[in-house]
Amino acid sequence: MEACKDIWRERRLKNLLSPDSLIEKGLILLIVVTILLFILFPIIMVISTSFYQQGVIDFGNYRNLLSSANLELIRNSVFVATLSSLLGTFFALCVALYVFFQKRKVGELIYRSLMITMISPPFISAIALIMLFGRRGLITHGILGLSVNPYGWQGIVLLQTLSQISLASIMLISALNAIDSRLIQASRDLGANPTQTLSRVILPSIFPAIMSVLFLFFTMNMADFGTPIIIGGSFNVLAAEAYLKTFSAADIGKAATLSVLLIPPAIVAFYFYRKNVGKINTLSEGARTLKGAELNFRLPVIIRVFIGLVTGAFFFSMVLKYGNIFLSAITTNVSGELVFTWEHIERFHYRYVDAFYRTLRMSVMAGLLSSVVGILLSYYTHRLKLPLMKSVEFVASLPYIIPGLFFGLGYIVAFHNEPLLLTGTMTILILNCTFRHISVGNKAANAAFENIDGKLEMAARDLGTSRVGVLATIIFPLLKSSFLVSFINTFTKSMTTVGPIIFLATPRNMVSSVLMFHDITNGRYGLGAVVATVLIFITVSVNLVAIRFLSKEKEEKPAAERSLRKERGEKYAAGAKGFN
Amino acid sequence: MKKWIILLMVLMLALSMAACEGEDIQEEPVVSEGQEEERPFEGTTLELLVAYGGAEDSFDAFTDATGIEIEWMSMSTGAVLSKLQAEDGKTTADVWFGGGVDSYLNARDLGYLEPYKSPELSAINPQYIDEDGHFAGLALVPAGFIVNEDLLEELGLEGPETWLDLADPQYQGEIIMADPSISGTQYAILSGTIQELGEEEAWSYFEELIKNIDFFAKGGGEPQQKVAAGEFAIGVTAIHGRTFNIGETSPTREVFPEDFIPWTPAPIAIFQNTDNLEAAKALVDWYLSYEGQEILKEADARIMARDDVDPPEEMSGLDRSKLLDFDLERMGREREEILEKWEELIGGM
Repeated sequence: MEACKDIWRERRLKNLLSPDSLIEKGLILLIVVTILLFILFPIIMVISTSFYQQGVIDFGNYRNLLSSANLELIRNSVFVATLSSLLGTFFALCVALYVFFQKRKVGELIYRSLMITMISPPFISAIALIMLFGRRGLITHGILGLSVNPYGWQGIVLLQTLSQISLASIMLISALNAIDSRLIQASRDLGANPTQTLSRVILPSIFPAIMSVLFLFFTMNMADFGTPIIIGGSFNVLAAEAYLKTFSAADIGKAATLSVLLIPPAIVAFYFYRKNVGKINTLSEGARTLKGAELNFRLPVIIRVFIGLVTGAFFFSMVLKYGNIFLSAITTNVSGELVFTWEHIERFHYRYVDAFYRTLRMSVMAGLLSSVVGILLSYYTHRLKLPLMKSVEFVASLPYIIPGLFFGLGYIVAFHNEPLLLTGTMTILILNCTFRHISVGNKAANAAFENIDGKLEMAARDLGTSRVGVLATIIFPLLKSSFLVSFINTFTKSMTTVGPIIFLATPRNMVSSVLMFHDITNGRYGLGAVVATVLIFITVSVNLVAIRFLSKEKEEKPAAERSLRKERGEKYAAGAKGFN
Repeated sequence: MKKWIILLMVLMLALSMAACEGEDIQEEPVVSEGQEEERPFEGTTLELLVAYGGAEDSFDAFTDATGIEIEWMSMSTGAVLSKLQAEDGKTTADVWFGGGVDSYLNARDLGYLEPYKSPELSAINPQYIDEDGHFAGLALVPAGFIVNEDLLEELGLEGPETWLDLADPQYQGEIIMADPSISGTQYAILSGTIQELGEEEAWSYFEELIKNIDFFAKGGGEPQQKVAAGEFAIGVTAIHGRTFNIGETSPTREVFPEDFIPWTPAPIAIFQNTDNLEAAKALVDWYLSYEGQEILKEADARIMARDDVDPPEEMSGLDRSKLLDFDLERMGREREEILEKWEELIGGM
C-alpha cells in the first residue's frame, strides 16, 4: 500500500508540469473563477446597494429593518410559506403513494403528466384561478351563481400548494422507488398489516425525502412574489413587497434590504434540506426495488380512496388550469360571454416569433453550459476531493436561496462597467440562466458518482489515459443521463422564468417569458395566453425528446436504471427552484 | 476518442455561440452609403423603453417617415427607474417613451436624462414641459373612473359623478384603486386632490375614502381590468385609448369626474447614455410634430400635448375647464412626504 502511494506521488511530481496537468489546472481555475464571478460577485453587489448608493455608505435602510410593518411582513411570509409547503407536501405524498401502487403503465402515464404539469408559465396560473373562481368566475359565478372573493392569504395558499404538487410528487415517487422492497416484504412476512407497513416501514423510509421536499418548498414559497401580487389582495408578504419596492417604487436599496431579510429563513431551511438529502436512501448492494403494484401489497380501502380522490382532484384542477389558458388564447370575454376570436393569435407576430427563437437559443446554450460546469464542479469536488471546492459548491447553490429578481438585479449592478460590460447583450442572459441553475447539474452528478466505481478511472489512468482523456472518455459518457437531466431542468427553467431576467432583457434582446409578463401586466390576457401556450408546447416537446434519450439509455443498460431513478429524485430535489 | 471529440465540439460550439451573441449585439447599426438629405438616420436603430399603451401602433409610421428602426419593450416607469439606478444610468436604451412623470423628475435629478429642447416645443403648453428640456409631454392623460354598469345595476347603485361621491358609504367594498406608491397616476390623483382641495380637506376626504376600499391594486392598469372583468363595480384609473377599447367588449363606461380632473403628462425623454443622440432627437421632434402627434393620437386616444391637435372623439365628454391647474414640480417635490402620510393613514391595510 505504502509503495503504491510512493509510485503515485512520483508520477504526480513528474506529471505536474505536463500539458495535460496544465489543462486540468486551467479547467479547475476556470470553473472556480466563473462561479465566483458570476454567482458570488453579483450577489454581493446587489446586497451592497442596501447600504451603498451614489458613493455614500448609509445604513439608514437597516435602521427600520425590524419595524412593526416589516415584522408583520415576515410573519405573513412565514405563515403562508409554512402552510402552503405543509399542504403541498401532504397532497404530493398522496399523489406519490397513489402512483407508486398503480400498475406500471398507469403509473408511468401519471408520472409523465406530472412532468408536463411542472411546466407552468408564471402569473398565468393565478389569473386562471381568478377567471375561474373570482367574483365573476366562470365556475363560481357563471355556473354556481356565487360571488366569491378569492383575494387574501387563502388564495395564495391554494395556488402555491397546487403549483408545487407536480414537482413534489415526482421527488417523492423517486424516493418511494428507491425503497429496498425486501424491507416491505419482510414486514409483511413478519405479520404486519398494510397500515402498519405503511406507517412503520414505507413512511419512515421516505421521511428524509419528505422533509427535504418540505424545506425546499418553504424556501421557494418564501421567495415567491408572483402569486401574492396577483391574488394576495391586502395580504402582503416580504417577497412581494421587495418586488414592488424595486419594480414600482424604484427603491432598490430598500428592496435589497428586504431581500436580505429573506435570506436567514432560507438558509435555515436550506440547511435542513441538505441534512435530509444526505439521508435519502442510497441503495446498498443487492437491494431490490419493485414497483408497489408488483409487491402484492394493497393499502386499506379508506387510504386508497382518499389518495385516489386527491390525485383525481389535482389532475382535474390541472385540466381546468391548462384548459383555461388554451381557452383564453382563442376567446375573448364579451360581457361575461366567451366569444371565439383569432385576434390574440393575429397579434402574435414577428416580434414574438423572433423572441421565441432567441429564447430557445438562450435556453439551449444555458442548458449545455450549466450541465458541463455543474458536472465538472462535482467531479473536482467529490471525485478528486480537492480542498476548498466544497465552499465553491456552496457558492454555486446560492442562486437557489435568494429571490430570482435579485440575482438578475445583481447582474446589472455588477456588469454595467468596463471591463465587465455585459448589460444589454445576449451573453448576460445566457450567463444568468447558466449560473442560476448550475447546482442542479452539480447535484445530479454527485448522485451519479456515488454509483459509479472510481476504480474505472484509476484503471484508465494506469493504462496511460490523460487526465482530460479520463474526463472525456469515461466521466462524461457515464454521466450522460445526469447531463440530460440537468439540461432538461435548466432548459425548462430558462424558458419559463421571468424574475431574474426581467431586468436583463432589453428591447433588442427580448425573451418570450418577459414579453408574456408585459402582456399580462398590460391587461392583454389573451395574448399572454397565446405566448404561454406556445411556451408550454415548445418546452414539452424538447423535454419529451430528452426523456426519450433517457428511456433509451434505460433499455440499453438496465443496470443504470437505479442510478437514473435516483438522479431523477436528486434532480428534482436539487433543481426545484420556482418561477420567481 | 470519438466521443471526446464530439464533446469538445459541443462545448466549443456552445461557447462560440455565446461569444457570437456578444459580437452580434455590439455590432454598430449600419448606416447606408447613399444617404438622402432628409433621411440622415436611415438604418439607425433606436431602443425604446415604453410605458405608453398602444404607442407601438405608431412605430411603423415613424420608421416610414424617417428610416429609423425601432426596437422596443414595455416596462413600467418604476422598473425603468430601478434599472437605471442599478446600472448607474448606463442604459443601452436610447429613448424613454411615456409613463409616470414623477419617475422622470426623479431620473432627471439623478442626471440620467439628456436635456434637449426640440424646435417643436413652441407649439406645446409649457405646463407639460421640463424647463431645461430633460423631458417633454407627448400627451395628457386625465384621471377618472371606470364603472361596470351590469354590476352597478345588480347592486342597485348609481355610478359616482364626483371624487367626493367615491367616499359615499354605499360604495363600500366596490371600489378598486391602485397603491399610489406604485402607480404614478394614482399618486398624481393624490397630489392633485391635495393641490385642489388644500391639505386639510384632502386628507379628511382620503380618510373617508379608504373606508370604502378593500385593498389597493399593485399596478395602475389593474383597476380597469378588474372592473371590466366584473370583479369591482368602480375603478379609479387613468383614462386613455385602452380604457375606451375595454368599453367595446365589456359593460363599462368612463366617467370624467364633475368636480375636478387630475391629469399627468405622458413624457418622452432621451437617455443621457445614448449612442444615437441625433437620431433620438429626430424621434422626439417627430413625435412632437403635428404629423407625429396625429398618428400617436390615432394609436391611442389621448389629449395631445400640441394645442393645434384636436382632442380625440372619445374625449369629447371631457370638459377641459375641469382640468386641474397642476404644479408638476410641486407634485414631484412632495412625493415622499405625501406617500409617508398616506402609508400612515392606511396603516395596517
